Amino acid sequence: MLKSLKFFAPVLIPSWRFFDTIAASPRIEFALLGAADETAADWQEFRPRPQNLSFGTVLRRLFWNPNWNDTLFLTSCAERLLENPTEHSVTEISTRIAASLNPAEGDEFFQFRLVLISRAGDDLQKEVAYISPRQLMTRPGA
Amino acid sequence: MDFDSAQRLTEILLALAFLQQSLEHLSAARDEQRLFALRIVLSLLLLFGVQSQWATVGLVILSLPILHRFQGPYNGGSDRMGLLILICLCLSHFAPNQSWKDIALGYLALQLVLSYLISGWVKIVNPDWRSGRALSDVFQFSAYPVSENLRSIARQPRLVLAASWAVMLFEIAFPATLLHPVTLIAGLSVAGLFHLANAVLFGLNRFFWVWLAAYPSILWLQHRVFASIQF
Repeated sequence: MLKSLKFFAPVLIPSWRFFDTIAASPRIEFALLGAADETAADWQEFRPRPQNLSFGTVLRRLFWNPNWNDTLFLTSCAERLLENPTEHSVTEISTRIAASLNPAEGDEFFQFRLVLISRAGDDLQKEVAYISPRQLMTRPGA
Repeated sequence: MDFDSAQRLTEILLALAFLQQSLEHLSAARDEQRLFALRIVLSLLLLFGVQSQWATVGLVILSLPILHRFQGPYNGGSDRMGLLILICLCLSHFAPNQSWKDIALGYLALQLVLSYLISGWVKIVNPDWRSGRALSDVFQFSAYPVSENLRSIARQPRLVLAASWAVMLFEIAFPATLLHPVTLIAGLSVAGLFHLANAVLFGLNRFFWVWLAAYPSILWLQHRVFASIQF
């Protein structure tokens, strides 16, 4: 709890440096594995954004936007994980991935990775910056 | 706007912002639900003015386990602003005399002004912002655009350049709106539209509601400081 008190300092004297530089942006990807020693190959983006949003959805999200805000929190966790790895960030990301999975027969483990997207000249470049340990899948009712 | 009106209106707007945020957590994990259910109760007390001063104390104390739960703010700047407003409100209730109460609410107003001014300054000194490249990057590859179609805005350099300068100039010029009540209301209206655009384009709905809650403090401070000055 003492650690929580240190979060008050940037509240009382905020920096307000919103978007001062546009750094490389992390994406969370996951893969399902059949065995603990299997190498992940089929990486999928976690919570990909929709192609388009209707006006009604945009309006509703002004008042009710839990999934998107949770996704922004996971982006913060990913940034924290790259700057200063903690079990908390790994757990927050893993828990949400695990809850979203609908594993097929034979999928026993999953893994996630963080891919950094940045600009290189006029192109975008992707770099895998972190790969999580393999984690055992928990099935509903198990 | 007098002090009591500004304080009360801040309480109402902050309570509504906290209710909006807290309701979003009720579909989350059980430990989050417990924390935010309690926050809803305290926010309702604040909203209806029932023991407001103690509701602010309760909300400040509750922010500790919430910060601990997420190992920092859940939603970055919007959580920090919400907590800043809450602490200033709390201090404005328990300050020993009116001068200290004024300082508590005045500090909130000052931070609101700085939130625009500093944010504008760090952009305008950055060549990537001045060229439109930074905003283009936000649309092209950052985590914020709410849909893939919005990424195409990065391919409209004139629009992006104009939007970059509009944001920078507005943020830098915001303190000047304090000179007259009419310009301040105009400035706050533009600021509100700016936050609304961020909510629509980047899904930052919490910023929209929580920044509105700081506006009564600046309306009060403008009246307090500039009311007797004739231009």
